[in-house]
Amino acid sequence: MNEHSLLPRLRDQLHGGRMDRREFIRFATLLGVAAGTAYAMAGMSAPAMASSTLPFPAAEPGAKRGGKLRVGEMVARMEDPATYNWNEMANQTRPILEYLTLVGPDNVVRPMLIESWKPSADLKTWTLQVRSGVMWHNGEELTAEHVAWNIRRWSDPALGSSNLGLSTFAALTEYTGDKDSKGRAVRRPLKNGVEVQDSRTVRLNLAKPVLSVAEDCGEFCTLVVHPSFKPPLSHNPIGTGPYTLVELRVGDRCILKRITKTTDGRDFHYWGGDVFLDEIHFHHYEQENQTAALASGSVDAIYELPVEQIELARSIPGAQILSVETAQTLCCRMQVDVKPFNDIRVRRAVVKAADNGAIKKLVFGEHGSVAANFHVAPIHPEYFPLPLQVRDVAGARQLLKEAGYENGIDLNIVVGNNDGPWQQAACEALRDQVKEAGINLAVTVVPATKFWEIWTKVPFGATSWAHRPLGTMALSQAYRTGASWNESHFSDPEFDKALSEAEATIDVPTRKARMQKVETILRDAAVVIQPMWRPVFILASARVHGYKAHPARQMQLTKVWMS
Amino acid sequence: MNSRVVILLALIWFPLTAYVMFRSALGALANYLLLPAIPSVIVLYVLALRSWRESWVAIVGVSLISFWLLMAVAAPYLPLVDPNKPLVPFLAPGGVRHGILFLLGSDMRGRDVLSRTVWGCQRVLVWGITATSVAYAVGAGCGLIAGYLGGWWDEFVSFASNVLLSFPVMVLFILVLNLLGQSGFNIIIAVTCSSAPVIMRIVRGLALDAKSRDYIQAAQTRGEHPLWIMLVELLPNVRGPIIVDASLRLGYTTVAITTLTFLGLGLQPPDPDWGLMIKEAATAALLWKYSYMMIVPALSVSSLILGFNLIADGLREMSLRD
Amino acid sequence: MGNLIVRRVTQMLLIMLTVSLLLFAIFDSDQFREKAAVAELGGFGVATLSADDYHEWLEKKGLNERFLARYGRWLESVLHGDMGQSIEKDIAVSVLLKESLTNTGILAFFVFLIMIPVSLTLGVLAGMNTGSPLDRVISIVAVLTTSIPQIATAVLLTVILALGLGWVPTKSAMADGWSFRGLVLPLLTLLLYDIGYLVRMTRAAMTEVMASQYIRTAVLKGLPYRRVILRHALRNALIVPVTLIFLELNGLLSQVVVVEVFFQYAGFGRMLFDAANFGDLQVLQAATLVAVCVAVGSQLLSDAAYVFLNPRVRFT
Repeated sequence: MNEHSLLPRLRDQLHGGRMDRREFIRFATLLGVAAGTAYAMAGMSAPAMASSTLPFPAAEPGAKRGGKLRVGEMVARMEDPATYNWNEMANQTRPILEYLTLVGPDNVVRPMLIESWKPSADLKTWTLQVRSGVMWHNGEELTAEHVAWNIRRWSDPALGSSNLGLSTFAALTEYTGDKDSKGRAVRRPLKNGVEVQDSRTVRLNLAKPVLSVAEDCGEFCTLVVHPSFKPPLSHNPIGTGPYTLVELRVGDRCILKRITKTTDGRDFHYWGGDVFLDEIHFHHYEQENQTAALASGSVDAIYELPVEQIELARSIPGAQILSVETAQTLCCRMQVDVKPFNDIRVRRAVVKAADNGAIKKLVFGEHGSVAANFHVAPIHPEYFPLPLQVRDVAGARQLLKEAGYENGIDLNIVVGNNDGPWQQAACEALRDQVKEAGINLAVTVVPATKFWEIWTKVPFGATSWAHRPLGTMALSQAYRTGASWNESHFSDPEFDKALSEAEATIDVPTRKARMQKVETILRDAAVVIQPMWRPVFILASARVHGYKAHPARQMQLTKVWMS
Repeated sequence: MNSRVVILLALIWFPLTAYVMFRSALGALANYLLLPAIPSVIVLYVLALRSWRESWVAIVGVSLISFWLLMAVAAPYLPLVDPNKPLVPFLAPGGVRHGILFLLGSDMRGRDVLSRTVWGCQRVLVWGITATSVAYAVGAGCGLIAGYLGGWWDEFVSFASNVLLSFPVMVLFILVLNLLGQSGFNIIIAVTCSSAPVIMRIVRGLALDAKSRDYIQAAQTRGEHPLWIMLVELLPNVRGPIIVDASLRLGYTTVAITTLTFLGLGLQPPDPDWGLMIKEAATAALLWKYSYMMIVPALSVSSLILGFNLIADGLREMSLRD
Repeated sequence: MGNLIVRRVTQMLLIMLTVSLLLFAIFDSDQFREKAAVAELGGFGVATLSADDYHEWLEKKGLNERFLARYGRWLESVLHGDMGQSIEKDIAVSVLLKESLTNTGILAFFVFLIMIPVSLTLGVLAGMNTGSPLDRVISIVAVLTTSIPQIATAVLLTVILALGLGWVPTKSAMADGWSFRGLVLPLLTLLLYDIGYLVRMTRAAMTEVMASQYIRTAVLKGLPYRRVILRHALRNALIVPVTLIFLELNGLLSQVVVVEVFFQYAGFGRMLFDAANFGDLQVLQAATLVAVCVAVGSQLLSDAAYVFLNPRVRFT
């Protein structure tokens, strides 16, 4: 395998102590080095993997075959994997369909349906090597054509897929110069963006440098479907995974079974090695009921343990509480073009009056970590640590006075609790803090479904942002001028330029230095109050083995077994 | 029901409603608004005790209601901590932290359960009674029109009420609140849709009955305006059964409001009300040692409904005795 | 009697027509269309669509059609026995409706099976001996159980019976197949309120009858007390409770929403609640029409029972 031209420099930086080992692994894998090899280069023992070429953890000794796993989660529709809008939908699908790459519980991306990826030095051309020996449920073999078909689909602006918010797929489209009836610029797919070079090789010719191709290909809406796919998926799911759908009753149950025969009658061979469970049953339980369901033995594992139920979970004999730090967060963002937030002094006053650390502590106690209002998390490889802003109530008052609000100001924040009642708790804590600076913040709670209808429209809103493996991913989705998820309407050419430069830089110290600028601009513009990076808790009974908490809440069940 | 009672009720009612619905608009005035209501509740209670002394059932009922009314109007003046302020989570009743006594404990987010219960009473009472009153105004108005005017008026009003009555109540609530959005004002509309037709039927029946009575005939002969006859002659004379029904209906509305809030369709957080407290506790307080978070609001709402039910029973008992 | 039935059924059909038209008209708003789009694509997905693509998407889903045309099509297919498809659950509405009604039917069956004998007995016992200690106890317990909202009962019963004692599962999702144990909590929650209510009504009716002239006369004439109660008092006292039992069918349809949603029992109430929240129009239509049918039907049954039991009343 020929190495990426930057790899030697990376190695130098590692050995010269200018880069820590975790970062090295992150960037080496990014450049197409297998995760196991990267761990070895860094002199660290890699998490035991099934084999160096597989993205799964190694089977535990004594792992037992057979049995069924009953998972408590909301059972949702399985319409079109590219337009999935609930994580649960992807969880039900993940044993059937698979990703090109897999982001592991350690936030490291590994090749899955592709064997390797290789970027050009300018990060604009990426070559993906399709894994050989991958069998579809209908007996066909996975080819580069199939992969290309999927990628083209993900970057079709008319599909309504949230994939278009990901840099890779956005960079496979271009602006035509036309505007739609609402005045927004119209995009269409690049002509020669996805190129099939031979039956195993796909080349992406991106419109601009993108660092996160491998990560983007493992995001939850990028499950690979067979080109014969017609929504809804549940009617005829053809995938490459070891399971197939037996029954789906939305709001009730979803039953998956090991697949043994292809639809054309041959023996099905799964490319990924041993799989242990015979059946996976998803049973519908609302979020707040899952722990209780596990307590009475109705399920073996649950999707998520809400923080306020940890105490209840601890009282269940033998139950394992698992947790992981994530880059999931709450962005209390202000629209910079709406009065009174168009005055930066008002925004700065709100930010100054807030105490992120205290909010985090109140909501998640000792768990999770404090965030610092620039939407890059410590677990992101390119994180540049800026000093925490100190709360300054007097300063906030002064700013308000300068902005003409001597007698205080009335504000209203809208929260939808899409990710759980902790969001509301965070907003209420914020309200209590900013009150001391003369800001009367009212918290308006709207139902979760209602929130997604208005999330880009409210002047001051608290939106939950999911985990992304790289920090630049969220920045370019949410803060770049005109980005479709730019809910704060933040627009700063200097920021856009700095971000683009950072995104096109692999060399780590340079990149970090560039991130410093990006982060500083965003933080100083006082667009968001972002109190914490939330932890994720999951719960499983003692019989379940290999069930791990994942920062993006992906359920990866291939190597899970029951005793 | 004499003018004294009406004035006292108005003295309690208007400030309380204004306080709950428009507090932010009232500014500093809000701090003094509820002061005159406190003695009014006490005087009203004494009056009720005197006139209903023959029925212990009604006495118990009115005591419960007066207690909660007093809590509602006195809430701003009681030494309570901010009901929305998170302090210490999961503190058992009677615990002391930061020099604050949590008499009924704190909830999963560290808010004082006692304070939330007392403040929650305000929202439940205000929205419940307002919704019932609006339902009565609409229902009684339509009933009088249908019963007294008859003819096409009767046909039209009766069909409209039949349409509404052919929905199970909860179905109607869910439809209305999903359509209009979730808020206190929409609860009033939903409760009116479900209760007004029933009230309309009762009042219509009473009006039909009263129409043939001498005093109405006399008024008609005098050439009084129908509106005058309906409101001044008819309504006061049919009030007995209406008051009993109103008392029961207040209970139903209270149940409806807490249930809707519980289902996420009613009043929205963060301000406390009992349905919300039960809802929040139902997810966090599933351990016996934390069940106080849920038992306190559950008992509060039950005692309020019990109060309304007992008053209705007592009044009926007294009217049978007469 | 026949006349009454015809009139009621005509009225019911008229009401159902009005209601279905209203629902269609109401759900013909931009807000509803956006809700449908968000439900399918998610807030993040919808935000990536340009205005034209959004329009095209609506077109594809048939949401942009004029509502009268949609209503006409819906009405036609309903008349042919096709109630449409659930967009949320991707299943025929008729199948969904049948299953959920069966589940709710089972629940209702047990409610009535237990409620009727228990509450009539207790109510009659209390009403026969007004003012006695037995009457006091029954009356107090009944007024207490009717004063506790079902949400509170549901949580309390879960804490005690499921989590504390571990006798029954916390939720009634019945993932491993139907089980009576799973039914216990919703059943108890419904029964506590309903029994209390019916006991109070029966007691009131019985008290009234016992105080009436002819019973007093019969007792004074020296007829055996048992015979007076069984032959004369009961027959008259039960008229009101029996009509109420039929009306309770309607009330139960309201109560099951709360109970089924709380306990996750896959019945009619939960289906309706889900459909309303999701904006699943065809399910909502069907469910509402069934609810209207049950409501009007139960009123009709109750009227019929009244006529049947009380020979003095004749409807014209």
